Amino acid sequence: MKDLKHLIYFEKLLENADNELVKQAQDEGGICLGYTCYHVPEALLNVDKCFSVRLRAPHTGSIDIATYYMSNYTCEFARALVERGIEGGYQFLDAMIGVDACSMMNRAMEHFDILQVNSKPNFFVTHCDIPYKITDYTLDSYVKQMRLRVLDRLTEVFGVDTSDAAIRAAVAEHNEVCSIISEIGEMRKAENPVITGYEFHVINLVSYTCPKHLILPYLRETLAELKKRKPDKVSPFRARVAIVGSEIDDPELTKLIEGCGALVVSDRFCFGSTPGREVIELRDDEDALSQICMHVMQHSECARYISDEKVNQRRETADRLAREYNAEGIIYEQMKYCDYWGFERALASHIMHDEYGWPVLSIDRLYNNGNSGQLRTRVQAFVESLEIKRIHKEEGKA
Amino acid sequence: MAKKEKIKYPNPEFFRCKDEIDWKAQWENLKEFGGIAWDLLKATDWKKFGQDRIEDAKADAARVKDEFEAFMALDTENKKDVILHGERRLGRLYRKGAMATVRREWRGIKDTAYDFYEWARMWAMLLGTFSKDLIPALNSTLHYRWMVSYFCCHGFMDKNIMGLRGSNLRMSHLLIYDVFRYVAENLVLSAKCDKKNGNCEALNQRTVLFDEMTMGQIMAGFPDLYGFPHQLLAVFLVSEIDQLTCVPYIDAVESFGLPADCCPVPSSECGALVIDALPHMGACFLSSSMPCDGSTMASSYYSRRFPNVPVFHLCFPVRYLDEETVQMGAEDIKACIKFIEEKTGAKWNWDAYFTQIKRFNKETEYELQKWEVNKSAYPQLLGPCYELFRKWNYEMDGGADPRTIKTFEKVSKILMKAYENKEEPWPGKMKYRALVWSCPAHYYANFSNWAANCWGINVLVEMESLNFTKPLETEDKEEAMRDLARLYERMVMRRHTNGGYQNVVDELWRQCEDWNAKLVIMYQNVACKNMATVQGILDDQGRERGYDLIWVEHDLMDPRTVSRRTMRDKVSEYMRTVMKAEPVDPSLVEFEDEVCM
Repeated sequence: MKDLKHLIYFEKLLENADNELVKQAQDEGGICLGYTCYHVPEALLNVDKCFSVRLRAPHTGSIDIATYYMSNYTCEFARALVERGIEGGYQFLDAMIGVDACSMMNRAMEHFDILQVNSKPNFFVTHCDIPYKITDYTLDSYVKQMRLRVLDRLTEVFGVDTSDAAIRAAVAEHNEVCSIISEIGEMRKAENPVITGYEFHVINLVSYTCPKHLILPYLRETLAELKKRKPDKVSPFRARVAIVGSEIDDPELTKLIEGCGALVVSDRFCFGSTPGREVIELRDDEDALSQICMHVMQHSECARYISDEKVNQRRETADRLAREYNAEGIIYEQMKYCDYWGFERALASHIMHDEYGWPVLSIDRLYNNGNSGQLRTRVQAFVESLEIKRIHKEEGKA
Repeated sequence: MAKKEKIKYPNPEFFRCKDEIDWKAQWENLKEFGGIAWDLLKATDWKKFGQDRIEDAKADAARVKDEFEAFMALDTENKKDVILHGERRLGRLYRKGAMATVRREWRGIKDTAYDFYEWARMWAMLLGTFSKDLIPALNSTLHYRWMVSYFCCHGFMDKNIMGLRGSNLRMSHLLIYDVFRYVAENLVLSAKCDKKNGNCEALNQRTVLFDEMTMGQIMAGFPDLYGFPHQLLAVFLVSEIDQLTCVPYIDAVESFGLPADCCPVPSSECGALVIDALPHMGACFLSSSMPCDGSTMASSYYSRRFPNVPVFHLCFPVRYLDEETVQMGAEDIKACIKFIEEKTGAKWNWDAYFTQIKRFNKETEYELQKWEVNKSAYPQLLGPCYELFRKWNYEMDGGADPRTIKTFEKVSKILMKAYENKEEPWPGKMKYRALVWSCPAHYYANFSNWAANCWGINVLVEMESLNFTKPLETEDKEEAMRDLARLYERMVMRRHTNGGYQNVVDELWRQCEDWNAKLVIMYQNVACKNMATVQGILDDQGRERGYDLIWVEHDLMDPRTVSRRTMRDKVSEYMRTVMKAEPVDPSLVEFEDEVCM
């Protein structure tokens, strides 16, 4: 296939957390709000003059100092963020919006405070309590937390307009990004798609890490380009897989999987498009904040949600996506040391195989995996097993 | 004079419910069990077995000779002291390869006599309790391997009171007795309920199961129901008695695919579910998101094993100091009460709730009295029995058992008298005032006891004891729900590890000042992410403040990762090299207890 016009530019934007579009937005007077978790409604961080940056720690090497503070048995993503923070990599942030979703990420945010990784006078880190299940009272609490710990703080410190109208304007812009990404994502359903999983991962990541109004023109152009793009006559991939699991902000992992011959057609992981790139439908008869919070609760696929209906939802979503995108197998992945996904992956990988009939590859992995030979071997073996299954099916043996 | 009302707890009706044992199934199980036993007998190398017994006899003879010679080598004054006040070299009680201590401790005439009295009282209680429904209770040993570990409860008691004398010995016995009574009664009742065993449907319909990490106080409003922490007996408590109990659970769940870095508490709970080691019982189950991330997802394993038992997920806000979150917790409790009512047909009883909570408030007052005494220059109630009792009382009993408050009263009298007399819990061994921070290793429940006997390190209080002490509301119903939420949010461990680093870091320095302790045993459960993620700032700030932090790694329920000996070595090394100290009892510096329960 012909290279995408902006792919190299997008890759460059992912080289640093404070990429050129972030700098440009700040130069224009924008307030940069860092966050990591889907439970912080992204649209809320894009009200008025604010813009959101979903934090990553690209090209993480040594995390020795963070390991001293947080031990070597904890999430590498959390440690990588602390390490990058100590190195001064998040000095550009104006505030950090944290949620107490998982203990290790919460501690990472706390270290931003304790170690004073940002010296801006108005910089603050806020911690919000978020629910474990969907009920009317957990929604009330969630809405209250977002109002008190996020929106009101932004108004107090930066004079941000957080009115219902301002939130709705932010949602409109957010929705345009989501529509474009979703439309691009749908292209992966084709038998011989015009986009690879890696390309989609990169495009989706820039939509999380760049100011919306600055990345939108590039996204619109890319969508138009993809609509005209011609796929290779014969797909270079030997199998199609869906990925399900915890945080992946490193497109090199997708590249590694595709390098083994498995086209990644669905990305149900944190920093992926499910959840995160669903359009938020707002009604006029209810305040926007409550509707946004409910949207996040309903769409969240985080293994933190404990109730049976959410546990089942996660399995159903994995199954639905794999079917809709014509995957032949599912890769259940988990960031090493992630408690939530550790328990979820172990059980779900059995259930998806035994009850839903999916071939499943179950892996735990480090934060950076681009060069993992072990992982490559496991994916190669999985691809071969999928091929064998296909041959058996074609021969009527399955 | 008014006749004293006899306390009836637990509800005698529970024991009277009729068992419906499926004898055919029992016979099949017995045959399977017999087959395994026969295979074991066949596989045993009897020659080697005989040689081992001869070696044991020789070792016993050598020990007796050694002890006799050591005694005879003492001068008259010291001989008299040993006879009157007990032995001094406790390392002799251990022998390499032995699963229990080689004999009971000599504590001097008076204390040994008292100790044997309590030993006999415990046996009487156990026999009396089990006789209430003997067949299902004993039969459960044929179903569950963990049941066998409870036969060692006397050995566990002995380990926990090692070196104790006088008032501390008496108080420790009183406290541990209540815990064992609770265990015994629940073993009998759970065996009655178990569909594989007693199969008592009438009791099952009245039984509400809850996660072992969920506090029991919510059952206060349901006096006609039986609340049972489902994994407590099969996992949590027994792992304190027998260090090897959880190993099969952990292996099973890790073979299933769970990463080995997960906390051993939920890992063991899930492993017990994987190998079907929990009784099949109850009308419904209360799961919870507590105390930490690992426990949250463990409930999905429960639903997998018991798909027909309805589950309520009790979820409390993590940032519990934020008063804005309290109402959500209170609403969740109300929803939970409604769930129990729906599943059991019982009705919430405010009078019963307030009665129990008033008792719990009184117990909290007594607890605070102990803290005040231990904060003084003459701490009195120290050691593992008190540590275990405090956790049990706060988490599980919560004022439910009216007999417990009698124990509080007795202990209070002894405590105050001992304080007035300036007694020493470990006579001659009170050298360092210390705190324990983070969660202790289950497989080394008597670690603080060893630290005191070996190095004179007196653990005044554990982090896990320092929980919610505000009296709970007993009049306003709405506020009572909010208070109950506050209590639950501050359950053991969660009170410190959740809600912000200040609760575990700043709190430690505050407690060090409060208890006048300079030495801190910093337990490092290698799989506890909440604690691991503050180890750097604890180290930094501890150093700045001049505290001695002894980091002791452990793996909570898996002694294979970090053995007891390795844990001891960490303390001994620190005491020798940093503190330049000499052991109080050198026989306890090096000894073998790798297979000792």
